[in-house]
Amino acid sequence: MYPKMDEKDRLEILKDILFADEHEFEQRVSQRIEILEQTINERKNLSEKVDPIIEHQINEFKESIPETLGPAITETLKKEIRINKDAVVDALYPILGKLVKKYVAQEMKLLSEKMNSQLSFLSFFKRKFKSGVTGQNENEIMLGDLATASIQQVLLIEKDSGILKASYSKSDAMDEEMVSGMLTAIKSFVEDAFNQRNQELESIEYELYEIHLQSFATHYIAVVISGNYMLSAKNKLQDIIFDFYHSFMAMNLDLVFETKNAKKSIVPVPKSRIERELAKYFGNAKL
Amino acid sequence: MQSSKKIVVLGHFGVGKTSLIRRFVTDTFSDNYKVTIGVHITKKVVEISPDDTISLILWDLEGTDDIESIRNAYLLGTHGVVFVFDITRPSTFQHLNNDLKIVSSKIPNVPFLVVGNKTDLVAPSELKSVFDENNISVDFFTSAKTGDAVNDLFSKLANQLVSDA
Repeated sequence: MYPKMDEKDRLEILKDILFADEHEFEQRVSQRIEILEQTINERKNLSEKVDPIIEHQINEFKESIPETLGPAITETLKKEIRINKDAVVDALYPILGKLVKKYVAQEMKLLSEKMNSQLSFLSFFKRKFKSGVTGQNENEIMLGDLATASIQQVLLIEKDSGILKASYSKSDAMDEEMVSGMLTAIKSFVEDAFNQRNQELESIEYELYEIHLQSFATHYIAVVISGNYMLSAKNKLQDIIFDFYHSFMAMNLDLVFETKNAKKSIVPVPKSRIERELAKYFGNAKL
Repeated sequence: MQSSKKIVVLGHFGVGKTSLIRRFVTDTFSDNYKVTIGVHITKKVVEISPDDTISLILWDLEGTDDIESIRNAYLLGTHGVVFVFDITRPSTFQHLNNDLKIVSSKIPNVPFLVVGNKTDLVAPSELKSVFDENNISVDFFTSAKTGDAVNDLFSKLANQLVSDA
């Protein structure tokens, strides 16, 4: 005989039979939740799991920046620059300001000097005449004239010692004797350092100027040129220098020979005479 | 009448070549030591007489412990030489006679002055026995710091150049 069960006990037994599987499942889920809670709560455990994933995501993000955010950043920057021009200028000025200012000042000075000479009465009529003959626009002629190279200074220097023999200059901006010495030191250094006996330093570029160097036996000529010094101008300048050499220098022994050990005493040509000749050959030369 | 002459000033590192020139040209002195690289050129016009001046173009050559290694290109066309040593550092004058022989062979037949600098640190009389032992003959003892004998040195050189011309 079975013991007598009431309704409630029978329902419990039936429930156990029916929900046995669900109970087991519920226990497994509880265990997993417990492990997960533990993992999340312990930073180190979480870090071990999550870090590789984050790193991978970050790398992917970095690689995709140029494609995804690049255009947006560029567009935003353009927009910001358009809207806040002054702020951008303020930020960049310390870096670029000095450079630009110096360049613009120099260019303006040069332009101003050239404009003054171009606007002179004589130049005005020359331009008119040229325009009439060639049919070219007057403004174009003027701009063309502005761009041409022009001789600023000519120095005749003793090759070995660097002593200035004579000079021609459109302005008295620098100590020509010291410049002659320094040019000679630079020239000597370059030629000595490269150890090429038959080769000479031919030019030095200095921002808006170029210094053309032409060597002869005992002297060399340094010509400081401003403006657009193209190959054609270089050819013209060399013609002028060689003309000066053949017509004047070669006629004076102390300018073409080493006279220190000469048997006969050679009277050196006066500085004032050389300077007159330099002015004659280089003063009005067109390059 | 004014003529120009190239003067080279040479010697070992840190003997005061640049300071001597600065004292002579601008009458100033600085304790801030800056090494000369390559060559530095300055100029001073010296009055020989009321009617006669001479322009000294001073080539301050970088110091070297090996005088033989001075670039010959810098010495070409030299009209006068000033060789400077530091009286407080024997290494700068121990081989002085040999150094002078090398310089004389590179730049022959020009006025040549030997200068012991930094007399503000040691009195030359204290070193007399050292110089006598080494058979060293010195033309001027100078101090670029106080200016002592600096003008005399260059003045003598200028006068020699004029009288040799």
